[in-house]
Amino acid sequence: MASKDVLLKVDNLTTTFQTDEDSITVLDDVTFDLHHGESLGIVGESGCGKSVTALSIMRLLPKPAGQVVKGTVTYNDENLLSLSREKMYTIRGKKIAMIFQEPMTALNPVHRIGKQLGEIYQIHFPEMSEAESHAAQIDILEKVGIPSPEKRLREYPHQLSGGMRQRVMIAMALSCKPDILIADEPTTALDVTTQNQILNLMRELQQEINMSIIFITHDLGVIAEMCDRVIVMYAGRIVEQAPVKDLFSTPHHPYTKGLLESIPRLETPPKSRLEIIEGLVPNLKNIPEGCRFRSRCDFEVEDCSKTDPKGEPIGDESHRTVACIRWQELSS
Amino acid sequence: MTAYFIRRFLLIIPTFLGITILVFTVTRMVPGGPIERMLTEAQLASGDQVSFQSNNQGIAGSTLSESQLNQLKEYYGFDKPILESYGIWLKNILLLDLGYSTRYGEPVWESIKQRLPISIYYGVMTMLLTYMVCIPLGILKAIKHKTHIDNISSILVFIGYAIPGYVMGIIVITIFAFYLEWFPLSGFTSNNFDELSFIGKVKDILWHSVLPLIAYMSGAFAVMTFLMKNSLMDNLAADYVRTAMAKGMEFKTAVVKHAFRNSIIPIATNFGENITLFLAGSFLIEKIFNIDGFGLLGYESLVERDYPVVMGILVIGSLLSLIGNILSDICVALVDPRVRFGA
Ligand SMILES: Nc1ncnc2c1ncn2[C@@H]1O[C@H](COP(=O)(O)OP(=O)(O)OP(=O)(O)O)[C@@H](O)[C@H]1O
Ligand SMILES: [Mg+2]
Repeated sequence: MASKDVLLKVDNLTTTFQTDEDSITVLDDVTFDLHHGESLGIVGESGCGKSVTALSIMRLLPKPAGQVVKGTVTYNDENLLSLSREKMYTIRGKKIAMIFQEPMTALNPVHRIGKQLGEIYQIHFPEMSEAESHAAQIDILEKVGIPSPEKRLREYPHQLSGGMRQRVMIAMALSCKPDILIADEPTTALDVTTQNQILNLMRELQQEINMSIIFITHDLGVIAEMCDRVIVMYAGRIVEQAPVKDLFSTPHHPYTKGLLESIPRLETPPKSRLEIIEGLVPNLKNIPEGCRFRSRCDFEVEDCSKTDPKGEPIGDESHRTVACIRWQELSS
Repeated sequence: MTAYFIRRFLLIIPTFLGITILVFTVTRMVPGGPIERMLTEAQLASGDQVSFQSNNQGIAGSTLSESQLNQLKEYYGFDKPILESYGIWLKNILLLDLGYSTRYGEPVWESIKQRLPISIYYGVMTMLLTYMVCIPLGILKAIKHKTHIDNISSILVFIGYAIPGYVMGIIVITIFAFYLEWFPLSGFTSNNFDELSFIGKVKDILWHSVLPLIAYMSGAFAVMTFLMKNSLMDNLAADYVRTAMAKGMEFKTAVVKHAFRNSIIPIATNFGENITLFLAGSFLIEKIFNIDGFGLLGYESLVERDYPVVMGILVIGSLLSLIGNILSDICVALVDPRVRFGA
C-alpha cells in the first residue's frame, strides 16, 4: 500500500463504554486508511459503531463513559489520540471537521446563525475583523446554497428548515477548508429531494477544496453515489473493505452480501419478498466466541466458532480486506 | 411577543376572580366567622358560663340583642347572599379599599403595609442569596460530576433539605444565638436602631437577618442547586455543545457560551414561583425569630377569623404571584428565542 498518499491512518482503534456494571467494547481493532481527496464510506446496521468511530477520531466521545483504550489515529505524522488538548483544539474544525446526524439539535437554539457561524472564524482566525468575518459568513452561506444569507445570519435555528440547518452545518464545517470532513449520516433526517441536493452540494464542494470525506451512512444507495471506497462494519468490527465498484460487483463477506440483497431493486418483480438478514446484532456485552456474524450467517461451519476472523488483505487487490474464514470458497 | 404578553396580562383577570371567589366562598361556608368569634370573646369577658358549642346555641345564649347582631352582620356584609357581598367586596377592592380588620378595626391595608417592608426584605434577600449560591454551586457540581466536591456538597445539601425550615431555625438559633451569642435571638432590628448611623442600620439589619435567612434558604436550596446541576448536565451532553467542540471551541468556552444559557431556562421558569414563595414567608420561621411578616399575619388572621385581613393578604399575594409569573415569562423570553418568536 502506498502510504505516502495516506492522509489519516486509523490503527487498531478500540473503544469501550463504561456502563453501570461493566465496560462494553464498542469498537474492536478498527483499522483503515483515508487517502487524499477520496470519499470513504462507512456502512453498517444501527449500533455497529459508525458514530463511535467518528467521535473517537475527533476525541469527542461522551466523557467519562466512552474511552479509546487502544490504537492510534495518525494525521500529519502525529497521533491525534495522544495530542495535547490545546493542540487538538487547533485541529478540530480547522483540519478535521464534522457534520452530525441530527440537524435539528446540532445547532444551539438560543443563538443566532450568524453567531454560531462566526464563532468558527473567531476560534481559528482571531485576527479577522468583524466585517471580514461577516463577509466570509455570507460567502460560505451562498456557497452552500442558502438564499438571502444576510437575513439568515440574523435568524435563529428554529426559523430554518431541516435542510437549511444541515446546509448551515455544512457551511460551518467547510468554512476553514478542512483536509478531512467526517459526515455522520448528514442526510438521514432529511427528505429525498433535500437529501439529493445536500449530497450534490457536498460532492461539488469536495472537488472545489479537494478534501477527503468519511461518509457514514446505513444507506448503500448513498454509498454508491458518493464514495470511492467502502468499509462495512458489523458489531464494532470492520468485516469488509473494498472499492465501491468491487464491493457491489463481488462482495466477499456473507454480511455484505446480505446487505446488498436487502436493497430493493427495480429489476425484481414488484411485491416480491425483500431479502433481509435474519436475526439480531449480538449483544456487545457478551460477544460470542469466534465470528461475530455466525449466528446470523447461512454459511456457518464448525470452524467459525473457533477462529475469530481478522480483516485479512486480499491477494494483490489493493485496499481490500475481508474478515471471513470461508470467503474464498464462498466466492468461487 | 407583545401579543403574548397582552394575553398574559388579560389572563390575570379571570385567574384573580377565580382565586378570590373561591376563598370568599370558603370563608362564608366554614363555621365560626368573625361574629361568632366576637360573641365568644364577649361572653368570656362577661364571665358567662355557657359553653360555646354551636352557632345557634351561641347566639341564643349571647349577651347581644337580636338587633345588635343584625347590625353586626350588616356591617360585615353577612346579611346578603354570597355573590352580592362578593360583588361589593370586589368593587371596594377596585377602589383600592381592602376593608377593615375585624380584630383591630384598623384598615386592612395598614396592617399589610406595616409588614410589607419586612416581608419584601426577607423575600428578596432569600431569593437573591439562593440564586447567588445555588447557580454557581450547581455549575460546579455539574462540571465536577461524581467527584469528591460533588458528593460531599450533595450530602450537605440533602441534610439541609431534609431538615424543615423551622427546625433549621431552632437549630441555628440555639447554637449561634443562645450558646455562642454571635447573633441576636430575635427581632428585625435592635432597640437602639433609630440612633444608629446609616451604615450602622444596614449592619444591624443584616446582623439580625443572618439566622432567619439560613432557615428560609435551607428548603429551596437543594431544589435550586439540583435543578441547576441537572439542567447543565443535560445541556453539556447536548448535540450543540458537541457541535461547538467539533468547531474547535475549548470545553470551558463551550460550557459558558453554549451550555450555560440553555441551562438557566428552567431556573428562569422557576423564578416567578419562588418570588411568591419567599414573599409569602413561613409563619413558623417568623414565629421563631419573632419577625412581623406576612406569614405570621396571615396565620393569626386565619386563627382569629379576621377574614378581611385574610382576603387582603390573598389579594396582595395573588397579585404578587401573577407579577412574579409574568416576570419569569419575561426572563424566559429573554434567554429563549423560541419563546420570543412564539415557536
Ligand atoms: N453514550 C453511550 N453510552 C453507552 N453506550 C453507547 C453510547 N453511545 C454509543 N454506545 C454504544 O455504542 C454502540 C455503537 O453506537 P454508534 O452510535 O456508534 O452506532 P451507529 O453505528 O452510529 O448507529 P446509528 O446508525 O444508529 O447511528 C452501540 O451499541 C451503543 O449501544
Ligand atoms: Mg450514528
